[in-house]
Amino acid sequence: MNWFIKRIGQGLFTVFAVATLTFVLVRTMPGSPSQRLASQIREQQPNMSTQEINAMVAQRIGVDPDRPLHEAYIEYMVNLAQGNLGESINYQEPVFDIIARALPWTAFVMTISLLFVFVMGLGLGAVMAYREGSRFDVGSSLIAIFLSSVPYYVAAVILIYVLAIELSAFPLSGRYPSDVEPGFTLAFVGGALYHAVLPAASFVITSWGGFALGMRGNSIQVLGQDYIRVAKLRGLTDRRIALRYVGRNAVLPMWTSFLITIGFMFGSSIILEEIFSYRGIGYYMFDSIDNRDYPVMMGTFLVITICVIVAVLIADMTYGKIDPRVEAGGDNEAY
Amino acid sequence: MSTHEPTRTNDARTHEVADPILEIRDAEVVFEMDRGVSRVLDNVSIDIERGEVLGIVGESGSGKSMLASAMLDAVVDPGILSGEITFHPPDGEPVDVLAQDQEGIRELRWEDISMVFQGAMSSFNPTMKVGGHFEETLKAHEYDVEAGMERARELLADLYLEPDRVLDSFAHELSGGMQQRALIALSLVLEPDVLVMDEPTAALDLLMQRSILALLEELKAKYDLTLVFITHDLPLIAELADRLAVMYAFELVEVADSDSILSRAVHPYTRSLLNATPNLDAPLSEMRPIEGSAPDPVNVPEGCSYHPRCPLADEECVSQDPGFRPTHTEDHLAACFHWEEASEAIPFNIEREVNDE
Ligand code: SF4
Repeated sequence: MNWFIKRIGQGLFTVFAVATLTFVLVRTMPGSPSQRLASQIREQQPNMSTQEINAMVAQRIGVDPDRPLHEAYIEYMVNLAQGNLGESINYQEPVFDIIARALPWTAFVMTISLLFVFVMGLGLGAVMAYREGSRFDVGSSLIAIFLSSVPYYVAAVILIYVLAIELSAFPLSGRYPSDVEPGFTLAFVGGALYHAVLPAASFVITSWGGFALGMRGNSIQVLGQDYIRVAKLRGLTDRRIALRYVGRNAVLPMWTSFLITIGFMFGSSIILEEIFSYRGIGYYMFDSIDNRDYPVMMGTFLVITICVIVAVLIADMTYGKIDPRVEAGGDNEAY
Repeated sequence: MSTHEPTRTNDARTHEVADPILEIRDAEVVFEMDRGVSRVLDNVSIDIERGEVLGIVGESGSGKSMLASAMLDAVVDPGILSGEITFHPPDGEPVDVLAQDQEGIRELRWEDISMVFQGAMSSFNPTMKVGGHFEETLKAHEYDVEAGMERARELLADLYLEPDRVLDSFAHELSGGMQQRALIALSLVLEPDVLVMDEPTAALDLLMQRSILALLEELKAKYDLTLVFITHDLPLIAELADRLAVMYAFELVEVADSDSILSRAVHPYTRSLLNATPNLDAPLSEMRPIEGSAPDPVNVPEGCSYHPRCPLADEECVSQDPGFRPTHTEDHLAACFHWEEASEAIPFNIEREVNDE
C-alpha cells in the first residue's frame, strides 16, 4: 500500500515538475513567449498601453510579465490546479475547451490502433512460436522486423500517397465527413471510423511487429518450460494449455510495454495528426507551434505529458497485481 | 529396428516377480541426430511388483530419466520409444501402454500412473495458484471436483502442509520443500496406483530429503501405492527402496534387493558407485570418485559398455556383451563376466552391515 502512495506521489511530482518547467520556459526564456505574446498583441492593437497588454498576457497564459516571479508562479499553478489553462490567441477560446474537444479524437484513433496492434501482434506472435522454424515463422519474423524499423510517419506518407491520392480509397484528411452532422448516427460513426483508418493503420503497420516478436520470444521460452510438459501429462486440453499456460505467461510480461506504447502514441500523435490534418490534441500542438499560440502550446504539452505519465504509472502499479511473479512491494514474503 | 543388435539378451533372465503392476520389456528410446542415432535407453526389461518401492539408480546421463518417462509413454519429442510396457490394474485387463490411443494414454497418465518431476517449482504454472492446478486436473479427467479437492486437502495435510494456505498460494510463495510436497499431493490427486518420481529430492537439503522420504513411506502405506524412485543417490534411496536397479550407459547393470546390493553388490560399477557416494559414516578421504566419464549415447562402447572404466576388464569384456545373469542368488542379477572377482578387486571403503530387519 505504501508503495502505491509512493508511486502516485512520484507521478504527481513529475506533473508538478513539468508544469513548473513550462512556467519557467514561458516566463524566463530570452525572447520569452510572454514577451512575444506581448509584442504580438502590440502589433495587433498598437494603441494599447503596456499595462493593458500585460494584463491581457496574464489572462491569456496565466503568466503576468509584471508580477514578481513567485507571485506569478503561484497564480499560474493555482490556475492549472483549477483546470484553467489560459486562452488561445488564435482561436479566442479557453485552451481547456480546445483540448477537451480534441483529446477524444486522439483517444479514438489510439484505441483502434492499440486494439489492432495488440490482437495482431499477440496472435501472430503466438502462432509463430507454435510453428517455430516454419516458413510462416521465418517469413513473418522478417516482415515484422522490417516493418518495425519503418517510422510511422513514413508509413503515413506512403499510405496517403497510395491509398488516398492514387487510389482515392480513403479520405486524405479530417476527422469525419464534412457533410454529416456530428452525433450518434451510423453515418457519423461510420464516417469517423473511415477517416480514422489511415492514421490508425500508420501506427498498426509499424508497431505490431514489435509485439509479435516479443510475443514469439516469450511464447517459445514458455513452451520449453517444465510446467508445460507437466500440464500435458496431467491431461489438460491443448486449448487450456495455450490460453492459461502459454498465453498468460507470455503476455503478462508485455503489459508494461503495452502501456508504454500508449505513451509513445501520444507523443507520435503530434506529427501523425499533422500529416493527416486530424484535429486531435497532437494537431493542435503542432498548429500552436506554427502560430506561436503559446497558451495552446503549454496546455497541450502539459496534457500530453500527463497522459504519458499516467500510462507509465498505471503500467508500474498494475504489473505486480497482474503478474504474480513480480512482487510489488516486497511485502509478500515467502513463508 | 536398425542394424543394432540388442545388447542385452535378457529375456529369460529378467527378474520376474509374482504380481507385477508394470512389465517393461525391451524398452528402447532413440533420438535421430545429425551425428548418428542416439540410443538413450537400450533394451531395458524389468518388472515392477505391486506395492513395492523400486529405486532406479544411476549417474546423470545414464538413461534413468528416460526409463521413468517411458513408463508413462511420456518420452519428449523427437525421442522414439519402442518395446513393450504392460500395466496391470488392480482389477481388470492388462493395459498395453504403448498401444493406447491419445485418449487412452491421457486417461492412463495421472489416473493410473503418475509422475513427480525434478524441480517442483518449474512444474507449477507461475501465474496460477497451486489450488488451480488441482482443480484443472480433476476437471480434465472428469472427476468430481468437490470430492477431489477434499482429497487434495487430505493429501496436503498428510504431507504436513496447511491445505488452505498452500492451495491459495502461488508456487513461488512456497519454500522448496513445500513445493515438492505440494507437487507430490498433485500427482496423487487422481488416486493413481503407481507413482514415478524422477529425482524428486535433488534440489532439497539433506534434512528435507529425509523427511520427504519418510512421508513417502507413510503415503505409500495409506494409499496402496507402488513407488518408482529415480535418483543418483544410492545410499539415500537404499533406506526406502525394497529393490534397487542400477543403470549404466542406458542399460540396467544390476538388479537386486536393496540389502543385497548394499552388502554384496557384484557389478564393478555398483561397487564403485557405493564407494563414490558421500556417506555420513565415511570419512571424506575414503571417497573414491569413479574414474572416466559416462559414455556418449551415440557411441556406446562395444562389448560391456563399462569396460573403459572397469578395473576388471579383459578381452572378453571388450568384445562381448556380458548379459544379465543370476549371481549369489537367483534374484540378484548382474551384467558382468567377472562378478565373482568384483568384491575382491573393488573392496568397499566402509563396512556395510547387512540390514536384516
Ligand atoms: S563385464 Fe567386464 S568390463 Fe564389464 S563390468 Fe564386468 S568385468 Fe567390468
